[in-house]
Amino acid sequence: MHSITLRSDIAEKVNEIQEADILVGIPSYNNARTIGHVVKAVQAGLVKYFPGKKSVLVNSDGGSTDGTMDVVQNTAIEDFQSILVHHRVGPVFKIATPYHGIPGKGSAFKTIFEIAASLNVKACAVVDSDLRSITPEWIELLIKPVLEGGFDYVAPLYHRHKYDGTITNSIVYPLTRALYGKQVRQPIGGDFGFSGNLAQFYLSKDVWETDVAKYGIDIWMTTTAIANNFKICQSFLGAKIHDPKDPGADLSAMLYQVVGATFDLMETYTDMWRTVTTSEKVPTFGFEYAVGLEPVSVNLDRMIDKFRLGIKELLPIWEKFVPVEITQFLSNMVVVRKEEFHIPDDVRVKLIYSFAVAAHKKVLNKEHLLKSLTPLYIGRVASFVSESWESSAAEVEEKIDTLSMSFEHGKNALIAQWD
Amino acid sequence: MSDILDKILFEPFDRFVDRLVQFLPDILTAALIFLAGIVLGLILRSLLLRFFHAVNLDKFSERFGTVEMLKKGGVQEPFSLILSRLFGWILIISFSIISVRSLNIPAIDQILQKFILYLPNIFVALLILFFGYFLSNFLGRAALIAAVNAGLALSGSIGKFVRLTIFLLAVTMALEQLGIGKETIVIAFAIVFGGVVLALSIAFGLGGKEVAKNYLEKKLEGEEKKDDISHL
Repeated sequence: MHSITLRSDIAEKVNEIQEADILVGIPSYNNARTIGHVVKAVQAGLVKYFPGKKSVLVNSDGGSTDGTMDVVQNTAIEDFQSILVHHRVGPVFKIATPYHGIPGKGSAFKTIFEIAASLNVKACAVVDSDLRSITPEWIELLIKPVLEGGFDYVAPLYHRHKYDGTITNSIVYPLTRALYGKQVRQPIGGDFGFSGNLAQFYLSKDVWETDVAKYGIDIWMTTTAIANNFKICQSFLGAKIHDPKDPGADLSAMLYQVVGATFDLMETYTDMWRTVTTSEKVPTFGFEYAVGLEPVSVNLDRMIDKFRLGIKELLPIWEKFVPVEITQFLSNMVVVRKEEFHIPDDVRVKLIYSFAVAAHKKVLNKEHLLKSLTPLYIGRVASFVSESWESSAAEVEEKIDTLSMSFEHGKNALIAQWD
Repeated sequence: MSDILDKILFEPFDRFVDRLVQFLPDILTAALIFLAGIVLGLILRSLLLRFFHAVNLDKFSERFGTVEMLKKGGVQEPFSLILSRLFGWILIISFSIISVRSLNIPAIDQILQKFILYLPNIFVALLILFFGYFLSNFLGRAALIAAVNAGLALSGSIGKFVRLTIFLLAVTMALEQLGIGKETIVIAFAIVFGGVVLALSIAFGLGGKEVAKNYLEKKLEGEEKKDDISHL
């Protein structure tokens, strides 16, 4: 596929800018309602914290029909004095362009990487366009570790509601931590900082026709950075509050793309993860503080019903690759009362590892396999919700840490089954 | 009297014995060829299986996605076994044809000729059935998983319905290819399929009236409590 920079309008803009120090990318699709705030925060962050640097803001759009790109072009902070005390106000170049390729976040990021590479930028950041809690400080926290700390990859660290980011908490974080040995708490956070070198490295990979082009991009970026020994850290950004993610998106498709990309990466970096035995913390920047979070409504009954329906109908499919003791446990869960509904950590670990091995051994069509994981995932979320109903954020974090340890302890069994 | 008996009984019997004596070697040859075909077919199957194992055919086929395709269709047996069986059967069938032709019976020769001309139809029909079976399993499972993820209580029935419909369609196409009741089968399929759809529509319309009403009310009035959980 041709680079976006070959397009005349983009080439013209790149020629005009020539080179830049910092690039901030915002992928979007019908985010006219929220993107204005994000653009303002990014512009303020750039002029406030990097006044002497040449900066570019790139909006990579998926064909919005609600005027998202117009909002980006027309958004400007009228009164910088209210934000800045004494800094010089420098210009921030803007490029708003539709991306090419498979519709998805990953394709939007590819366009951002291409423009970053052609402008030879030193540091980049990407932030979601639906953020309501972004502040100018996010830009500093994502960019500074790269520009001044020599880091190649900055993952976000947020305070989120205990029932927010459940794919991250129950699958992606514990699995990534156990596999690659780095405790990156939000590996699919969506807001990252990275060096120009890493952007060029990402571009050199031939993954843009896979699930990486969609929701798989976040885990791919994090894992690629870790597995290729780029210097990584995380920055505390505060609360993450955003509009509901792609309301039309089907959970099973989302799960398929994210978990599918994670399992694909297990194939790519098998030699690396097999040798990792423990996990370590990564350097963390930013001042951690408690934040108030919006309540999250949960329909536990509906979740348990979906889990039970899954067991009733899909158990014969799972029996092909899930250990007998786990399928027996699942069968018993059909009659368990709501108050006693609980899926222990070791069952969760064995289930995820069984699915990973089944994907590796191609036991089933990959899409069927991963989409059949949805009811089990919902059951796991239901169990987590009922266990942590009264728990504080710190207690929930402890539970996630315990689950991650179970993933680490179960890794030998995974390696044994893998071959 | 004895002349009459000779003409009616003994002469035909003698002619029959003569022909039988002439024909016996052909029968024996045919039987021998047939038995040889079975034995050689079994030997070929066993040899090919060993050969395929030696050259790691299963691993190659896995790499080229053949195993995945078979598994998608619900076939769990190794590709090497399927292929060796196929060659074994081809050999047995070939020997059977040779054995029947060795009988030198013009009527059988004619039937065989027609049969050989008809073979491509059988082959195409088998191919249609083969892919129809794969497709019905694959799409049936896809429908089942999608229905479960959508939380539909009738997921199992939906999966079975999709699988059965596609397989029935494949059977109809295969029978049409074989020229068996051409129009009748297509019409029968259309009637049965249309009937099932109509029956389901009526059943859903009558039986599910309240369910549909409740569902629409909940949707329009926003009564259903939804999750705010952000999964990513």
